[in-house]
Amino acid sequence: MTPNGWLQIAVFFALLLLAAKPMGLYMARVYERKKTWLDPVLVPVERLLYRLTGVDADVEMGWIEYGAAMLIFSCATLLLTYAIERLQHAIPLWNPQHLAAVEPYLAWNTAASFTTNTNWQAYVPEQTMSYLTQMVGLATHNFWSAATGMALAIAFIRGIARRESKKLGNFWVDLTRGTLWVLLPICIVYALALVSQGAIQNLKPYDTVTLVEPQTVTAPGADGKPVTTTVTTQTIAQGPLASQEAIKMLGTNGGGFMNANSAHPFENPTPFSNLLEMLSIFLIPAGFTVTLGRMVGSPKHGWAVFWAMAVLWFAGVATCYWAESQPNPLLHGVDQRVATAGPGQSLSSGGNTEGKEVRFGIANSALFATVTTDASCGAVNSMHDSFMPLGGMVPLANIMMGEIVFGGVGAGMYGMLIFVIVSVFIAGLMVGRTPEYLGKKVQAFDVQMSMLYVLIFPLVILGFAAVSVLLPAGLSSLSNHGPHGFTQIVYAYTSSAGNNGSAFAGLNANTHWYNSTLGITMLVGRFLMIVPMLAVAGNLATKKIAPPSLGTFPVDNTLFTVLLVGVILIVGALTFFPALSLGPILEHLLLRSGISFS
Amino acid sequence: MSDIAFLAASLAFFFVAVLYVYGCQSLKGGRDDA
Repeated sequence: MTPNGWLQIAVFFALLLLAAKPMGLYMARVYERKKTWLDPVLVPVERLLYRLTGVDADVEMGWIEYGAAMLIFSCATLLLTYAIERLQHAIPLWNPQHLAAVEPYLAWNTAASFTTNTNWQAYVPEQTMSYLTQMVGLATHNFWSAATGMALAIAFIRGIARRESKKLGNFWVDLTRGTLWVLLPICIVYALALVSQGAIQNLKPYDTVTLVEPQTVTAPGADGKPVTTTVTTQTIAQGPLASQEAIKMLGTNGGGFMNANSAHPFENPTPFSNLLEMLSIFLIPAGFTVTLGRMVGSPKHGWAVFWAMAVLWFAGVATCYWAESQPNPLLHGVDQRVATAGPGQSLSSGGNTEGKEVRFGIANSALFATVTTDASCGAVNSMHDSFMPLGGMVPLANIMMGEIVFGGVGAGMYGMLIFVIVSVFIAGLMVGRTPEYLGKKVQAFDVQMSMLYVLIFPLVILGFAAVSVLLPAGLSSLSNHGPHGFTQIVYAYTSSAGNNGSAFAGLNANTHWYNSTLGITMLVGRFLMIVPMLAVAGNLATKKIAPPSLGTFPVDNTLFTVLLVGVILIVGALTFFPALSLGPILEHLLLRSGISFS
Repeated sequence: MSDIAFLAASLAFFFVAVLYVYGCQSLKGGRDDA
């Protein structure tokens, strides 16, 4: 670890802290339908959309109606994306590489993936998806799924804020306003900023260039015998990348236009673009803590939640950065220490550089990996599979905690609010009083639904992972055996259920088994968790708000923050510690003993 | 054939999800609920 690395991490957090309040206050105005400076441009567009779709913006919905609208919308867009993927070869538009139709299992997995904001990619995008599919099927989903998550978080916040109401808002209005007022304007400016750094944005066919230094490659021929060829040219993929990159990060989607994701120089060209990308992952989720405080009338409660998230973020990044700064004990004779050629002239930052871009270094790789898995983004600028065992455990553990450390856009906030309900309930049990959250009694139904939300997540992950380690179809995709291979499988299901989408890599997920089971995992991890969350929101909205009394547990101070962090760690640790022990922790101990697995 | 199977699977999932909404709602009404 170096002072420079810590300084960059500190600068990242300082900028996030500065951005959270204006972002949160702006979103509160957008969802409360108050005036904003974008109204002259966007209100006519909004009205036109409602007129075309027959939406009455003044009619609000109860939680069942709100949930049903969200499910119908998600089902329709999933099928649309599936159809586009299957028909891309037949549509004479934006397919200059003449890419074939996407195979059914993969098409369904991808449609489920982008509908759920997961953006798990079991394919090489530049070799599989036409520009039309990337733009109409996938990039639009990046907006829709993000706006859906934001709408759901707002519905939950309304449930807390309202008294004796059966309504949570109008799903279509929240979806539209989140897209038009929040996502689109930021993405337009953001995409241009990425272009200024070197990200590409075009619709032309791929370039073929002559290599400066031809490469000799030996590979098995048709008859199985080795054939040596000299490669003199290279194909460089093109496409409308910057526009997709912006929403990929801002919407915590994470699905790359290129296979290398944010490690590709077109997606993430410079250290500045890298900083922008990390900040944009956390921008909306951090802002939501301020939105929460504003809409429930307790700004301090919003900041208490913010600091609980910040503490967990720092614990993650510190652990990951430390782990990745350690030398690999199996690389005998390799000097892995920090090395400088003189003042300000760094030769090596020291530690594990495998799978990392030298443009970003260890500190920014560890920070990116932590941020992308704290949130439900899943974009990567380094390969998590190449991390040291404990370094790779951090992204995995982050997702296992439910991605509530700032979290996905909207999803992080409503996930955290479920933990708030559980924390308040536990606090009530400890002092022997009826738990109250901001003046509302937390009762049996609220706790039942919260626990359903908490339990579905490990159930689907551990269930499918257990079956996969028993079946040849699950084991045949592994590139490593032993605890590392186990981690690859657990990571795939955790990433899918958490709607994260980052891959540990090393697992060939483009098989019938993984395409279908990971697709189911994504749908369960998204929609079957949203439903009980909405049920809690709907139930809270109907309750009276009691004035604070001596027995009220305050949710706007340090004690609450500490309790919340404790509950999150205990729930996460108790649920997943056995799996982590069999995976990264065992691998770490074996590595220290000089044992590795191929 | 696969396309029809995936269409049916998708519709079935969301149908079950809607039933699940009503299943959750049916749990409400216990002694301690508001």
